[in-house]
Amino acid sequence: MLDTAPAVGAAPDRRSSGPARPRRRPRPGPYLLIAPTLLVIATLMFWPMVQIAIMSFQKVGNRQLAGEPAEQVGTENFSTILSDDLFWQSLRHTVLFAVVAVSLTLLLGTLVGLLLHRLGRRMSAFVAAGVMVAWATPPITAAIIFYWLFGSTGGVVNWFLDLLPDVLVGGDWIDHNWFATPLRTYTVLTVCVVWQSFPFVAVSVLAGLKSLPGELLEAARVDGASAWRSFWQITFPLLRPIFLVLLVLSIIWDFKVFTQLFIMSGMANRDAFNLSLYAYSEAFGGMNAKLGMGSAIATVLTLLLLAVTAVYVRIMVRQGETS
Amino acid sequence: MRFIKIAATAAAIALAATACGGDEGNDEAGAAAPAKLNVWMMGEGTPEQTAFLDGVETEFRKKHPNTDVVIKYVPWPQVATTFQKAIAGGEGPDVTEIGNTDVQSHIEQGNLADISDNFAKWADGASLNKTALANDQGDGKTYAVPWYGGVRGVWYRTDWFSELGITPPKTWAELTAAAKKIQDEKKVPGIGAPSDQTNAIMSFIWGNGGDVAVKEGDKWVGKLDQPQVKEAIDFYAGLVTTEKVAPEKYIGKNELQGPQQDFALGKLGMYIDGSWALKEMKKVSEKNADKWSVFPIPTKTGGNAPVMAGGSDLAVWKNTKAKDVAFDYITVLNNKTNAQKWADYSGFSSMFTDVKFTDPKLEAFTAIAANTKMAPLSTGWADFEQTKKVIPNTVKGVMQGKPSADELKKANEQANTLLNP
Repeated sequence: MLDTAPAVGAAPDRRSSGPARPRRRPRPGPYLLIAPTLLVIATLMFWPMVQIAIMSFQKVGNRQLAGEPAEQVGTENFSTILSDDLFWQSLRHTVLFAVVAVSLTLLLGTLVGLLLHRLGRRMSAFVAAGVMVAWATPPITAAIIFYWLFGSTGGVVNWFLDLLPDVLVGGDWIDHNWFATPLRTYTVLTVCVVWQSFPFVAVSVLAGLKSLPGELLEAARVDGASAWRSFWQITFPLLRPIFLVLLVLSIIWDFKVFTQLFIMSGMANRDAFNLSLYAYSEAFGGMNAKLGMGSAIATVLTLLLLAVTAVYVRIMVRQGETS
Repeated sequence: MRFIKIAATAAAIALAATACGGDEGNDEAGAAAPAKLNVWMMGEGTPEQTAFLDGVETEFRKKHPNTDVVIKYVPWPQVATTFQKAIAGGEGPDVTEIGNTDVQSHIEQGNLADISDNFAKWADGASLNKTALANDQGDGKTYAVPWYGGVRGVWYRTDWFSELGITPPKTWAELTAAAKKIQDEKKVPGIGAPSDQTNAIMSFIWGNGGDVAVKEGDKWVGKLDQPQVKEAIDFYAGLVTTEKVAPEKYIGKNELQGPQQDFALGKLGMYIDGSWALKEMKKVSEKNADKWSVFPIPTKTGGNAPVMAGGSDLAVWKNTKAKDVAFDYITVLNNKTNAQKWADYSGFSSMFTDVKFTDPKLEAFTAIAANTKMAPLSTGWADFEQTKKVIPNTVKGVMQGKPSADELKKANEQANTLLNP
């Protein structure tokens, strides 16, 4: 959640890089107003962040939680992680999953957003309410439902695939194990995560579309532009800031997917770990907590996300300057 | 992020603890009779369990009329973090149930009170299972007492066995043959061999004279690279890969994620599970319940393989202000009458050697329990078994066609690191 701050904060940058406005002297009023919020955020978020940074260079277990001083271990936590094959495998899974899931989420979300814009008032409200249910479903519930759907005992998906003609999908689906290999597990995970996250994109895109001046699209239609062309030439450029924010948010969300994967495959399927599960298994899973190690992984994950965010903030600022 | 949340929670709890620590300090001077006894039970809790514990409380209050017993259920997946918070915040229970694989970690971390003296005075203590009790001791002191345990056997269908002329297998070869016969004749998979079932797989390793690790001097030395272990893993994984009498659909899963339901529904020939499974399977389907029975997991050459005793123990938390009262609660909860009631309700064996199941179907488990073995008594075992799930992940790899020698070599390296924390 914290990581979204730069992305959101960047939006005004874009606007301010437009025509120069006369500079005013800073007034204390606004700062006083946000001070309480800042204080809360600093205590509850920045301070733990600092602690995590400190702990990533220490050996911290249950004894240290109870008050014993922690031992400084230098960069040992980091070198252990970086020399672990499982870390690199988990990183690969995390990145690949994010690429696929984010693309699908944005694609599906945009399409549904456009659909909602086209639909009549009642139908639009009905469909919007329908997709919002998916968004409102808690991740644990969604994960359990998808685990059942794709289960090998009484799973609806296997039953349905088995009913389809073998020419289309092949036979022997009834005992298909959807969680036997990483590729299969991530297929289910992608479906589950995309299903849950596209409504947010759809509704945000819809909000953007509603704010567009109708004349532009009308003019394009009069000039005989196809729907495809008017989307890419008019709608997309105008909504670019929204798409960028959605992109960064989706990357951040999909990078740290934990709950769904934990429920669907869990600790017994190390070959399907992503970074969050790897961190959990290294740091928290048992009675011998290794919080220093967990902090080190968290730091790596945070740095990765900050890097992603930084790249996009940069692109956004650049685009603001050129447009 | 998750880590921030945990850190924040820990910080918040620490703050809360320091804030309210002041007023509680001195009121209950002396251990005589606290107003409240906090008891933590692991698991979700059921109405039957609550009713059972209410009965225990009534009995306990005959002795300590002014002490209110407050039960808190801690679901198993949250156990580790809940104890971590208790340690960090200093707000622990008075009495707690502890999974037996975690007891050594708790002793090492100094979370449990030394109850050696109370235990010595407790007459019933003498008839507790000695292997299980050893797991509750460290440096000659007693920190917990065994409560209940469970051993696993192979569930099978008596009607299918008699129809096909199979007798309960005594060797691995007979087990494979039985599974094959059921598969051919009944058109259901012969046996369930899920990869995420450490305790069952341990029986195959032990049944072939192998072990995970052996203590040599101060150190645990991994033995997973030994030929006996390789043979056992090859056999277990081979049920899926070479013999094809166990389905692929249980790869990466545990016995509750398919095998139990399939067996109860008559869609699986045999599977390995404990006495407590009877209750769960009846919830799935009562139809064939009278035809279910159990035989011990066989060894390679013949005989009952040693089984890992899973289960729970009862301990007094170190920060309790009323150690003696807390121990009194344990002696009521686990007196022989209540132990009998609990065994019959839960389907777990009592850890008293002279308390047996009332249900004759579960009798086989009493015989199986005669040959139990403890996992390495290392503080790292909990990590090895539950967090890293080393054996399940190894077996999964082998089931997917990776060479068992390589996988076991890697597993052995993990055993060497994890078991010597």
